[in-house]
Amino acid sequence: MNLERIPNEEKLSLCRKYYLGGFAFLPFLWLVNVVWFFKEAFVKPAYTEQPQIKTYVKRSALGLLLWVAVLTTWISIFQHFRAQWGEVADYISFTIPLGTP
Amino acid sequence: MAPVGGCIFHDCLICLWLCALASISGDTGVLHVLETEADLDWILSTGPHPPYMVVMEAAFFTRSTMVKMKNSSRVAGVAVIKSNTGPTEGFSPHTSCPNQNTGVYTEHYGPELANCNNTVWNPLGNGLSYEDFAFPIFSLKDDNQTQVIRKCYEDHNMRMNGSAPQYPLCAMQLFSHMHAVTDTVTCMRRTDLQNSFSINPEKLCDPLSDFNVWTSIRPLNNSIKGHKENESVVIAAARLDGRSFFWDIAPSAEGTVSSIVTLLAAAQALYPVALEAPPQRNIFFTFFQGEAFDYIGSSRMVYDMENSKFVIDLDNVHSLLEIGQIGLRNGQSLWMHSDPVSRKNTTVNKQVANLVANIKSVASSLNLSLNEPSATQALPPSSFQRFLRVRPVPGLVLADHQASFTNRYYESLYDTATYLNVTYPSDLSPEQQLEYETEAAKSLTQVATLVARSIYKQAGGEDRFLNNITADTKTVAKLLYGFLIMSNNSWFSSLLPPEALGRGSILGLVITHIINTLTSVTRFVQFILANMTGTVTKLNQSQCQNPKDVPGESKDLYSYSWVSGPVSVNGTTDPYCVRSSVHLSKALSPAFELTDYGSREYSTWTESRWKTIRARIFLVASPQLEMMTLGVGVAVLLVSLVVTYFISSKAELLFSATREPPNTTY
Repeated sequence: MNLERIPNEEKLSLCRKYYLGGFAFLPFLWLVNVVWFFKEAFVKPAYTEQPQIKTYVKRSALGLLLWVAVLTTWISIFQHFRAQWGEVADYISFTIPLGTP
Repeated sequence: MAPVGGCIFHDCLICLWLCALASISGDTGVLHVLETEADLDWILSTGPHPPYMVVMEAAFFTRSTMVKMKNSSRVAGVAVIKSNTGPTEGFSPHTSCPNQNTGVYTEHYGPELANCNNTVWNPLGNGLSYEDFAFPIFSLKDDNQTQVIRKCYEDHNMRMNGSAPQYPLCAMQLFSHMHAVTDTVTCMRRTDLQNSFSINPEKLCDPLSDFNVWTSIRPLNNSIKGHKENESVVIAAARLDGRSFFWDIAPSAEGTVSSIVTLLAAAQALYPVALEAPPQRNIFFTFFQGEAFDYIGSSRMVYDMENSKFVIDLDNVHSLLEIGQIGLRNGQSLWMHSDPVSRKNTTVNKQVANLVANIKSVASSLNLSLNEPSATQALPPSSFQRFLRVRPVPGLVLADHQASFTNRYYESLYDTATYLNVTYPSDLSPEQQLEYETEAAKSLTQVATLVARSIYKQAGGEDRFLNNITADTKTVAKLLYGFLIMSNNSWFSSLLPPEALGRGSILGLVITHIINTLTSVTRFVQFILANMTGTVTKLNQSQCQNPKDVPGESKDLYSYSWVSGPVSVNGTTDPYCVRSSVHLSKALSPAFELTDYGSREYSTWTESRWKTIRARIFLVASPQLEMMTLGVGVAVLLVSLVVTYFISSKAELLFSATREPPNTTY
């Protein structure tokens, strides 16, 4: 979808939808929000809806950062300690690699 | 080629596992043939092209070399070229105290005899089979394929005048990826999780399982389990399995075949006399499978007896005679081992002494000398120990060794026919070799006669019939040929069902784990025993498979097998139905019935699953060449991206429309 051709109110509502959608444990929506609306929020010359789009983009970026931090920490811990946790790790794993502890 | 493993797992205090923890995409290394000490240094420290794939001459297959390889990060895999004879000093990859944790001697029962404190049974044991290796280990026969490998090494990898060889070098890749890891508890837990939750379950390991073979002189009703009234039984036992460091190779000539052949010949000698003049007690011949792995078969049979799931129970057992390793007697005396701890009880001691006296009286008439070892010596590792764990059954283990094993190649790939002196003159055809009576055959026949007569006497048979019981040397010779040299011979083929004809021969006396193939040693012993102790009936094939409706036949007492009979010259068979009291009983460790995968009481051995086992050799280029190729490729990619970008941005300039619009003439 090319944002050039959409009126500003629709841009704002799209940005809001993506922002609100990200709260349903969908950080990728926030990522898309940030990347897609970055130019609209910070580069384009000012228009009426821009401040609100700017807040949405900023908050999406914050949420995204938080998710990245949490996931990175959990994934690092899990990958490192899965072998040592033995039984507990096996029960929380979906796929267990064959042939490695 | 035979690899090591499938990884076999166990639960024990130190959680050892024997495995080749190979990678899933194969292990590759530059080939190097290990023939001298200098080669070993090259591989482990000085060679410039690690990791190496070691092709090892058999002389170097020792514990010290293998441990050095294991600890080195420069070894990608090992391929051992087998030799027919082992090193003269002996080689046994088994432990020096076999089955020490599941025998009868513990800190509560004979603590001074536990853990081989009193006698080290297998002093040459180096425990190599129980080490964990992170790379594949294959064994190669010294034939054409091995010559190809050697030639590749000589053409590309040999050192010239002390300088290192240049790329491209010959490399070998071994695929031996095992699914299971750590120990039995982990892999069984993961298998169970896979089975419950996964859409496409991936089994990781299977418990070692096969069948014990048993038969009785007087048929017993096999449909009714538990105690049988007025049945007192003398058990004659032997083990059915063997192992070596490598998968599916277990010649076990002295370790197992000697005892199987003796017991089979004894059964054949005893049956006609026992039918004509039945002894007072019943006689039970039983062959236990899986004894190398903490007594799988015998522990299961004892467990079934305790829980009334077997045709008899322990109250029915009068005494037990087990045949241990008896092939290397070399004309000397045999030894009767007994358990000193249970003999402290006077009743048991009297019964054991009675059994000893019976055997000795038989031996004197046969010119065999028999002795008892010292009264404080422990019982050697034997299936009898599992019976003693539960009840002080009076019994003996017959063996050719007084204290430590005479067998220098216990549970190794060198325990072959040659070691047992079963060799044939080279000018004989296979059929002639089948019938040829070697010295080993004659020696074992004597022991078989001794065993048969002793069992008969112990079961209360009268002395005047003893001289009619004689084992047949020709049978023993044929059995030795079949189990040690070639099982695909005319006699064995005639005893097996028609669908087993033409299949492969026994590779070794290994315990199978999933499929009970028709050509495993369990099946061979089952059908041979059926032929020796059973009767030919006139039933046709459908009646043989379902004898319920035939009057006079009973599926409870007997088992019926349809066997192919002698194969004629043009390949046709004349099958018939054999009725015998030979039965199979499941040999799966009780630990798996109780789902106690971490059991200390019972065997918990499992075997890992795998997908492919193969190997290939090829030439490899130097890493610098590989990097350069990759670098050039990446550079070409970048350059093409840049060029494409420029061309597309200046498209109007480059591809300007110089042609005039078409002239339309009006």
